[in-house]
Amino acid sequence: MSAVQVENKSYEMPPREGISIAHFLTVADIDRSASWYEKVFGGRILSTGDSEGAPAYIQIANTWLLVNVGGGPTPDKPTVTLSVPNPDNINSFMNIRVTDIQACYELWKSRGAEFITEPIPKYGEIRCYIRDPDGYIIEVGQSTDLTYG
Amino acid sequence: MPPCEGFTVTHFITVADIDRSADFYEKLFGGRILSRGDSKGASGHIQIANTWLIVNVGGGPTPNKPSVTLSVPADPDQVSSFLNLRVADIQACYALWKSRGAEFLTEPIAKYGETRCYMRDPDGYIIEVGQSS
Repeated sequence: MSAVQVENKSYEMPPREGISIAHFLTVADIDRSASWYEKVFGGRILSTGDSEGAPAYIQIANTWLLVNVGGGPTPDKPTVTLSVPNPDNINSFMNIRVTDIQACYELWKSRGAEFITEPIPKYGEIRCYIRDPDGYIIEVGQSTDLTYG
Repeated sequence: MPPCEGFTVTHFITVADIDRSADFYEKLFGGRILSRGDSKGASGHIQIANTWLIVNVGGGPTPNKPSVTLSVPADPDQVSSFLNLRVADIQACYALWKSRGAEFLTEPIAKYGETRCYMRDPDGYIIEVGQSS
């Protein structure tokens, strides 16, 4: 059993009640991705997947990352094919909000993260982006203009 | 959000219409809309369970990602990553979310030690709904 705390409420994986939201990534190599997310972000590998098609689970901060290899349609998604991304044409991505972007930039870089640029101020926040081993972008952002939450 | 210490992981999706997406995620999953973005480029923020969804329109490269273009899915059947909702009672979620207007690809189907189904959001993103068995 794995659990995260968000605003004094506990969310479990798998949940015993309600819902717990995870982020799924199609990857080329499950072990490579699990190790990378463990090392860079201090994630906790809960399972490493198996040859029968189970994904790996990595707990990171308030959520879980599920990673698995791609494949063609399945009975529950008869038209959908999963594959690793085109790294420069992006629809969705993991967005990590931080309190101290310079500290995160230095720490995660020291652990091997490849940043596209240094942190750059824009639109009331400071942002930079990491590439993961499959080319997914990961936004790292610190708000400097509090307009929500 | 924004975090007081450490970091918080959220999920960003490029959408055609921020209000439409914020309304969809609020209505379907009982999310809480924290902001609806603005004309200067700010994103919409929706809190859902243990995470936050950040939605904004697409666009070309920015100084902090000079080679990357953000767009809604050109082909909703070619997918790399997606939101994955793990639930305690998939039949109850399927019935509730369907009653709220969710379009599921199929009914829940048992496979690989779990029961799963998928819905489409307004931009065609798939959302997995799964219960471990």
